[in-house]
Amino acid sequence: MKKLLLTALLAALPTASAATLVFGANGEPVSLESGNITDGISILIQRQIYDTLVDFKNGTTDTEPGLATSWKSNANATQWTFNLRRNVKFHDGTPFNADAVVFNMSRWWDKSHPYGFRDQGRTYEIVGDLLGGFKGDATSVIKNIVKVNDYTVRVDLNKPSSVFPEVIGAGYFGIASPTAIRKDGAKYGTPASKPIGTGPFIFQSWRTGDRVTLVANKAYWGTKPKVDTVVIRAIKDASQRLNELKAGTIDFTGDLSPDSLKAINADRNLVAVKRPSFNVGFFTMNNKNQYLKNAQVRQAITMAVNKKAIVDAFWNGLGVSNASFLPPVLDWANSKSVPADYKYDPAAAKKLLADAGYPNGFTIDLWYMPVSRPYFPTPKPIAEAIAADLSAIGIKVNLKTEDWAKYLEDRNKEPGFDMYMIGWTGDYGDPDNFYGAYYGPNGSSDINWNPPEVQALLERGRAAVGKAEKAKVYAQLHELTYKAAYRIPMVHSNPLAAARSYVKGWIPSPLGSEAFNTISVDGKK
Amino acid sequence: MGSYLIRRLLRTLVVMLGISLVVFVFVRSIPGDPATALLGERATPAAAAALREQMGLNKPWFFNPSNPMDAQYPKYIQALVQGDLGSGIKSNIPVRDELGSRFPATAELSLAALTFAILIGMPAGIIAALRRNSMWDNLATTISLVGVSMPVFWLGLLLSYFFAVKLGWLPPSARLGNESTLEPITGLYVLDAILRGQPAALWDTLRHLLLPAIALGSIPLAIIARITRSSMLDVLGQDYVRTARAKGLSGRSVTLKHALRNAMLPVVTVIGLQAGALLGGAVLTETIFSWPGIGSWVYEAISQRDYPVIQGGVIFAALVVSLVNLLVDLSYAALDPRIQYR
Repeated sequence: MKKLLLTALLAALPTASAATLVFGANGEPVSLESGNITDGISILIQRQIYDTLVDFKNGTTDTEPGLATSWKSNANATQWTFNLRRNVKFHDGTPFNADAVVFNMSRWWDKSHPYGFRDQGRTYEIVGDLLGGFKGDATSVIKNIVKVNDYTVRVDLNKPSSVFPEVIGAGYFGIASPTAIRKDGAKYGTPASKPIGTGPFIFQSWRTGDRVTLVANKAYWGTKPKVDTVVIRAIKDASQRLNELKAGTIDFTGDLSPDSLKAINADRNLVAVKRPSFNVGFFTMNNKNQYLKNAQVRQAITMAVNKKAIVDAFWNGLGVSNASFLPPVLDWANSKSVPADYKYDPAAAKKLLADAGYPNGFTIDLWYMPVSRPYFPTPKPIAEAIAADLSAIGIKVNLKTEDWAKYLEDRNKEPGFDMYMIGWTGDYGDPDNFYGAYYGPNGSSDINWNPPEVQALLERGRAAVGKAEKAKVYAQLHELTYKAAYRIPMVHSNPLAAARSYVKGWIPSPLGSEAFNTISVDGKK
Repeated sequence: MGSYLIRRLLRTLVVMLGISLVVFVFVRSIPGDPATALLGERATPAAAAALREQMGLNKPWFFNPSNPMDAQYPKYIQALVQGDLGSGIKSNIPVRDELGSRFPATAELSLAALTFAILIGMPAGIIAALRRNSMWDNLATTISLVGVSMPVFWLGLLLSYFFAVKLGWLPPSARLGNESTLEPITGLYVLDAILRGQPAALWDTLRHLLLPAIALGSIPLAIIARITRSSMLDVLGQDYVRTARAKGLSGRSVTLKHALRNAMLPVVTVIGLQAGALLGGAVLTETIFSWPGIGSWVYEAISQRDYPVIQGGVIFAALVVSLVNLLVDLSYAALDPRIQYR
């Protein structure tokens, strides 16, 4: 009898099919309105709700069809035509078509668009940043957005850009339901609204500071979700995220510190997941500094810092050190004639310094970031290691730091920092995204070195069609910046993530976020 | 009493106005602004300048000669008197809404922490005083010393690791489990679970509340225990207690009726002060325990230079502290008939 009762009870328990997947995020989203966010958590959650026109193959930076099934440009890449997917509906039933695309793109780009809500604080700064500006700006990449027919959209550009599809595929640019935006008005994207996309998951609720809950979109046009519910919880503290994972209260998480690797490997319920590297952490040398403007001094410094040892020590094997600004997946654009890394040779560095006229060295400031980033998880000890290496050749380093917002501002103010640490995580799979962020017209004004030949190469790179063409241009840029030695790449890190062992099918994207529709919960949870 | 109350409330209003001015100037004087913070690694001078203009941050603070009302502070105050605290710079979430959803979380946590601190701290202090120099006294003194000196975030992580990861008894963080269906009414989840008649949710939220309440309550607990002990010792040595004893009253009656009541005055003061301090301590506890309260929210806003959020949060916190102090003052009169407010 007892046995019978037990069996009956067990049968009444919910079965594994009603699966909930819980992700531990390192913070809460800022907004769920696309075009208007730049932080990783907002992008990650949006990636589940919205689709972009252009998508990227799982785990790579190679494009594949998204809401556009195909796209092509004219010969000089000044005009892009996107063919749209048919029979796709937004979660609210609104049909997806050219009108929806034009509506979304226009509100991001056109400052006078009635549904842009700029008078209520919307800024779309990422559009200005990645696409050179807004409608009417002389620097704007886009000239015109045209509906050709119900399922074709054409974008005319002011200057050639072969990377336009990649840019528009970045996680910032999810396509939202025009009906929902019209209905919610300026509230759209805040917790008081219901963000509506075409993506694999449907928004259910957002408890601010706590969690966002999504449910599976059973009618999804792509790979249908394998779980019923996804909960994205905000857990700011990295040690607490690991605690939650160990306790089983979350199923998977990212942005763990590299030192957690040991603890993860030691727990047989957990699996460490390495996100493909798509970042660069580097330190800069300022051309305004009397010592650093000397090329021999800069060269000596590149030879004095033992980058490989530092990466081994502080990234726990979760990163590589080389002399390229580009992460490994973009290696095709690197020069083959430039050495894989700056040579580590303190003796030669000391001699070079003496040749430059500083046999007894000198003193400079090295600024390290006050915050942890995937490319520099523990900036202070890393800075100490760099300082120790430099002191070995007689350069005395004062370590300095300040609050992050001030740091970002001060590096661009006269006279800037002598040397400082910073980095970059990519948005789309093209070398332009890395070089363009620090060199050229959109680059920082931090080191007083941005010569015309670099700018010209950047222009050519943006216009070049095809990998082979691009590789030629970026190889030259690589050689030029390598020799100049103003920005010294330290590391391309693999951000550490982890999951409970029953989580299957999670393929992290180098671009920082991926849709969770491929993930299943295998067996017992 | 009534006129006293009105005077106090009016004074609070003036203080609030003063605080709004101070915090307005203060946040804008911190180097780095919302534009740079928002743009992060992308913050080139040109991009930051363009964004600043869009956000209206390049407008004068107090006075615009060409258009007197088109300055930041007058606009802010104008909205403030209408109860509008503005919206988060990036999120566009109205600060008032966010306060409404986050304050209950902080209040619930603070109340739980304070309850924990009082329930353990006061008896510990009383026992320590009554059994002066005994083993109990030494134990209470030692524990309270440890409580005061242990950093909250460290204690929090330790508790979480031990009770959640090692023993698996309690959840490591958050206010509710992943499968909870509790729909908030007041935002105080314990109360909401009772109002909704969901015993499972009540159990769930109490389990989630325990560890952060202990972490946050540890310092007030220690302080309350020490003050109770010394205040009790003070009172027990006074003439009237001796007289009461001499009159033949039982030890219990003397302790509870005469000594305790008089010993409570400084304890209540400390509890009031601690209630204010809890708001500050909540920053770390809320961060460690992923508690969606005001502390972690304002803390985040400071690093993002989110002016409206910082201003709103500070003004609101100041209001709460003022009101708690008022309550403390009023409770004096209840405890000690010699104190009267006119």
